[in-house]
Amino acid sequence: MLESLIGYIIEVSRGLGVTLSVFAMTLIISLPLGVIVAVCRLSKNKIICSIAKFYIWVLRGTPLMLQIALVFFGLPSIGIVFDRLPAAYLACGLNYAAYFGEIFRSGIQSIERGQREAANILGFKTVQFYRFILLPQAIKRILPAIGNEVITLVKDTSLVYVVAVNDILRVAKGAGGRDANTLLAYVAAGLLYLVMTYVITRLFEVIEKKVQYEE
Amino acid sequence: MLLRAEGLCKAFDNVTVLQDISFKVAPGEVVSLVGKSGAGKTTVLRCITGLEKCDKGTIEINGKYICSMENGLIKRATKEQLFEVRKDLGMVFQNYHLFPHLTVAENVTLALTEVYKMPKQEALTKAKEILTQLDMGDKLEQKPFSLSGGQKQRVAIARSCVTNPKLLCFDEPTAALDSALVLDIIKIIRGLAKEGMGILIISHDEKFVRDVSDRVLFMVSGSITKELTAEEYEKYMRE
Repeated sequence: MLESLIGYIIEVSRGLGVTLSVFAMTLIISLPLGVIVAVCRLSKNKIICSIAKFYIWVLRGTPLMLQIALVFFGLPSIGIVFDRLPAAYLACGLNYAAYFGEIFRSGIQSIERGQREAANILGFKTVQFYRFILLPQAIKRILPAIGNEVITLVKDTSLVYVVAVNDILRVAKGAGGRDANTLLAYVAAGLLYLVMTYVITRLFEVIEKKVQYEE
Repeated sequence: MLLRAEGLCKAFDNVTVLQDISFKVAPGEVVSLVGKSGAGKTTVLRCITGLEKCDKGTIEINGKYICSMENGLIKRATKEQLFEVRKDLGMVFQNYHLFPHLTVAENVTLALTEVYKMPKQEALTKAKEILTQLDMGDKLEQKPFSLSGGQKQRVAIARSCVTNPKLLCFDEPTAALDSALVLDIIKIIRGLAKEGMGILIISHDEKFVRDVSDRVLFMVSGSITKELTAEEYEKYMRE
């Protein structure tokens, strides 16, 4: 049994490339976009703020699987066509930007107003204030929440099976179906997800330690 | 005159907070604004530093304007002009508002290196000099959380003074200090005034105000009702 489990692990690992690419591309799209969403959400301009609120409401208020399906199956009907994987990257990236945006907002708002006023009087421009004063503190405060979200993302990558790309879950399903041994195939997939989330958990522990300071 | 405030008016949601406030601070002079909570002292300070926009009036610091009146309308400084005015301005907040992720030295040098583009080594030498004068020369690498209230205040003073402002404002500087530390802060403020810096303090600590000020302005319900010299204030306190 152990031998066949190892066999499945090796076979299911073929889906690792797709899973990791969805994971990485989602972070590459959503982290910077999340900063923009947060800044817009906090904008004094009511129109910009309302657009950001609407974006967050729609992207958080509908299932990610629906969003992936909509980008891949729905958009071609208005002439916008994506390949399977880019559709998955885009949908996941836009979705996670809404969540990251709200986390970033909480971090930005957690910094006392007095520090901004002190920085203003010292002559710091807004960009300098964000770079040297606000973000280093905000990042420390939001790291646990970001870690949570990144771990959720590892598991959410499995939703891309809806557009039939060969990620870990789809490869496992295929292998299990072929051999009529779905239990071991899914256990193998589960183990791979566990390894990934373990690595990310440890990674965040290291980063949190690095940016730790007492307040 | 270093600071000239004339006819300042300010209302929040139709509630008048400042009514026709006028006063001056000369170089090397320590002026205190006293009054009960809610009298409008903090609002005056926030208008002077440009953190709050007054509705009417003129604020001139070292020949540059935060706001002025033209044909009955208020004209406010642009962002760039405000930046220029603030080069002559420092502020020590009641809660200090140090940057907690930075060391004492970094708190003091950050504006020099990033805003004034001074080379790091030069900025550090300047910071060390000021911090040493304030008895904080051995705390350069410490983070704010490990400092006492009095020490945090010295770092805040160093951070404000390092850019050589002409006018330094203090918001309730003795609020979190014990009496021994109050004597120290009086010495520090008098020392800064001796070097030619104009000092504006808001406080409700009568003894402190008596010992530190050259002039005392009384505020009641958004107006300055009385102005006394140091000697007159001492007499007033005895009565």
